[in-house]
Amino acid sequence: MGYFDVPEIDYTRYSNRQLAAVPLAVLAVALLVLSGAFLAYGTPVPLGMDFAGGTELTVQTTTAEGDIGTAFDDAPESVTGTGSENQYIVQFSSTDSQALSDQAEGNLEGDGDAEVVQSVSSTSASFGQNSQQTAMLGLVIAFVGMSAIAFLLFRTFVPSIAIVISAFSDLMIPLAFMRLAGIPLSLGTVAGLLMLIGYSVDSDILLNNHVLRRSGDFYESTYRAMRTGVTMTVTSMAAMLVMAVTAYIFGIDLLASIGTILFVGLAADLLNTYMLNLSLLRWYKFEGVRS
Amino acid sequence: MSPIGAIKGNWRVLLLGAFLVFAVVALFIPGGIVADDGLASDSVDSGPTNLEFGLGLEGGTRIRVPVAGMTAEDIDTGAVSDDGRVDQERLDGVESTLQSELDLDQADVSVDVQDDGTVTAEVFNDNVSESEFAAALQTADVDATEDDIRDGVTQSTRDNMIRTIQTKINAAGLSGGTAYESTTVSGDHYIVVEVPNMDADELRTILSERGQVEVVAYHPENGTQTNDTVLRGGDIVDVDPPEQQGEDSYAVPVLVSDEAAPGFQQQMNDLGFTSEGVGRCGLRGDGENIDFDQEGEHYCLLTVVDGEVVDAHSMGDRGGNGLATDMREGTWVNDPTFQMGAQNQQDAQSLSVNLRAGSLRAPLDFSEEQVYSIEPGHADQFKQYSLLIGLLSVLTVSGVVYARYTDTRVALPMIVTAMAEVVILLGFAALIRMPLDLSHVAGFIAVVGTGVDDLVIIADEVMDEGDVSSERVFQSRFRKAFWVIGAAAATTVVALSPLAVLSLGDLRGFAIITILGVFIGVLITRPAYGDILRRLLTDR
Repeated sequence: MGYFDVPEIDYTRYSNRQLAAVPLAVLAVALLVLSGAFLAYGTPVPLGMDFAGGTELTVQTTTAEGDIGTAFDDAPESVTGTGSENQYIVQFSSTDSQALSDQAEGNLEGDGDAEVVQSVSSTSASFGQNSQQTAMLGLVIAFVGMSAIAFLLFRTFVPSIAIVISAFSDLMIPLAFMRLAGIPLSLGTVAGLLMLIGYSVDSDILLNNHVLRRSGDFYESTYRAMRTGVTMTVTSMAAMLVMAVTAYIFGIDLLASIGTILFVGLAADLLNTYMLNLSLLRWYKFEGVRS
Repeated sequence: MSPIGAIKGNWRVLLLGAFLVFAVVALFIPGGIVADDGLASDSVDSGPTNLEFGLGLEGGTRIRVPVAGMTAEDIDTGAVSDDGRVDQERLDGVESTLQSELDLDQADVSVDVQDDGTVTAEVFNDNVSESEFAAALQTADVDATEDDIRDGVTQSTRDNMIRTIQTKINAAGLSGGTAYESTTVSGDHYIVVEVPNMDADELRTILSERGQVEVVAYHPENGTQTNDTVLRGGDIVDVDPPEQQGEDSYAVPVLVSDEAAPGFQQQMNDLGFTSEGVGRCGLRGDGENIDFDQEGEHYCLLTVVDGEVVDAHSMGDRGGNGLATDMREGTWVNDPTFQMGAQNQQDAQSLSVNLRAGSLRAPLDFSEEQVYSIEPGHADQFKQYSLLIGLLSVLTVSGVVYARYTDTRVALPMIVTAMAEVVILLGFAALIRMPLDLSHVAGFIAVVGTGVDDLVIIADEVMDEGDVSSERVFQSRFRKAFWVIGAAAATTVVALSPLAVLSLGDLRGFAIITILGVFIGVLITRPAYGDILRRLLTDR
């Protein structure tokens, strides 16, 4: 059936330990990256303008990309082109947006009738600090809420904690990816992470439901859950990849970062659900119950 | 099948149809479900749909900024007795002590009785330190230490400022602007001002003007010229639009309150404005500023805005029925109107706005601002791009779903149902006039994603163990699928609800749309998809 079909994996060939080792190793690497970064830079992930404070200008100018930086008294952190011709996003750590837009208007060549400064976005450091706390709180509440629901749904320890562990790993892996790829934490990526909490447990719930609440052989139930779950995850990943790539080309940061985070997180979820969660479930089903 | 039976059997699909029709009406028919109560100018260029767009997709500026100042709450002034009577003189005394001790303008100090009967002292100037404030309170015989003083201002001050700002941006002739308060988790308060089609500089200029209007009497006393404030903005109760009165002269007609009018009349008579000073104002302006470097005695009424002299005028008799005549005769109080001057139309306009809106009680601290501003053209580009991104995502999802099932009977209704969900959501957004922004677009795409996920669960479950032979088999499988969908929906709602409640910038829209989408999906579209699938699979 179909152009792509979910392959049936012969899980009997691998022990629980072997299965769990891969995702746990990835999680360990992720945690290592994050804690190392925390020690080295003070934050586990690079903080974007929304959290660290700073200014971002979108300018429309015929000045060459390399010369844009010289138009400003303080050199910008970065200058990147957007999908449109002669349009650039310029980022500064300074928060004096008024002076920066004045400098842009004064020193950059106008492109026809278009305004030089197309958009300004600026956040003060103290406001960013505030947003950091809010975002942190939001993530914690979301995670705790999700865990509570997992326990409510299955009411047994091992399957519920399996969901919680793999959701935790689903969050840590994209965070480590952000550090390695240099993607700064922004409001968009926080939204992506929260979305991930909701999205990624879907496949875990599906798997647990098939294995625990249905009659039938463990491996057969697993395969059925996988067929549905992998389709779901792959569909979402495809949508997020397209969103991330097109939004990046068009220069729409918010959508690009939500897309990227979800794509990476969902990929991590495939690993966590069908190796980590599955091995815990199998142990529970075959050994945990009896003991 | 009888008609009633048909309705009973397909009520889920019919419900989806009804919601779709409702959404399309709300989206496309002008005035649709709710009457168009917006401003006339809004509805002219609102495009082919009833959707409203937020700043990010429409162009405009949003500034989020805290109020500068600090507060000593519940101070013991002895001015409020146990039976609730207030000794206003004592309060004024504390206020003027603070003012002189801290060397501040009258407008930068406020001592007020709050609604709960406690007295609060506020200083609206960030150059004063907490210890200076505490020391000044001590001087005023108020027992307060540094520990009693906190950063920020009172709720009533913020409410007052939001009202003032709202009036200011409305009076500046800008429709659709709003001012509101937002509070962070750590308890910091910000004032947020959003104005479409205005750039950051303009908005900052409007907000940074305190807008304190004074009428100052500039008159000779013991041989030198002195200034006396005779009227304040608060004494003026009604304002007419500015009028042009000659090439370089504009006037704003105002009505003085009944409380202030007799005093003003008395002062004018005492200071000689209505006798020897009639018509004697030699100060001339150059269209912007006033030149005070003039010989001789002058009797001028100065219009002062935020400490800056805008215009100077004398009082005239106008052949027997001028302002000076009425004041001298004491009849002016019966109809206490006069005209405040301005040298150019812009000043006159802003004077009129400042008088109407009142002054901002406290200044805003722009060093801690958060600004977002976007040109309308650029925003329009975003609008097109996000539409394109949305369409591409839907196409991708459709492609993957088709590739997975290769069965049009399963895949096509799946895609159509997921799209229906977006249409219903859009209709809902149009109905409640939710201004759409980029974050909402992300929400819509997420809704398509979760929607299709759930439809995949239903389809797989229903077709799981071979063909669906009977209605009963279908129902039992459908119910099983729904357990998973409900569980998944619950986690998504829980994960995103903090964002819908906490004020974290633009993300509220994203969370609200996604949560709404989940509810519409679980309650309406997914059951309908089940029905459609059942018909397609069992009626063979």
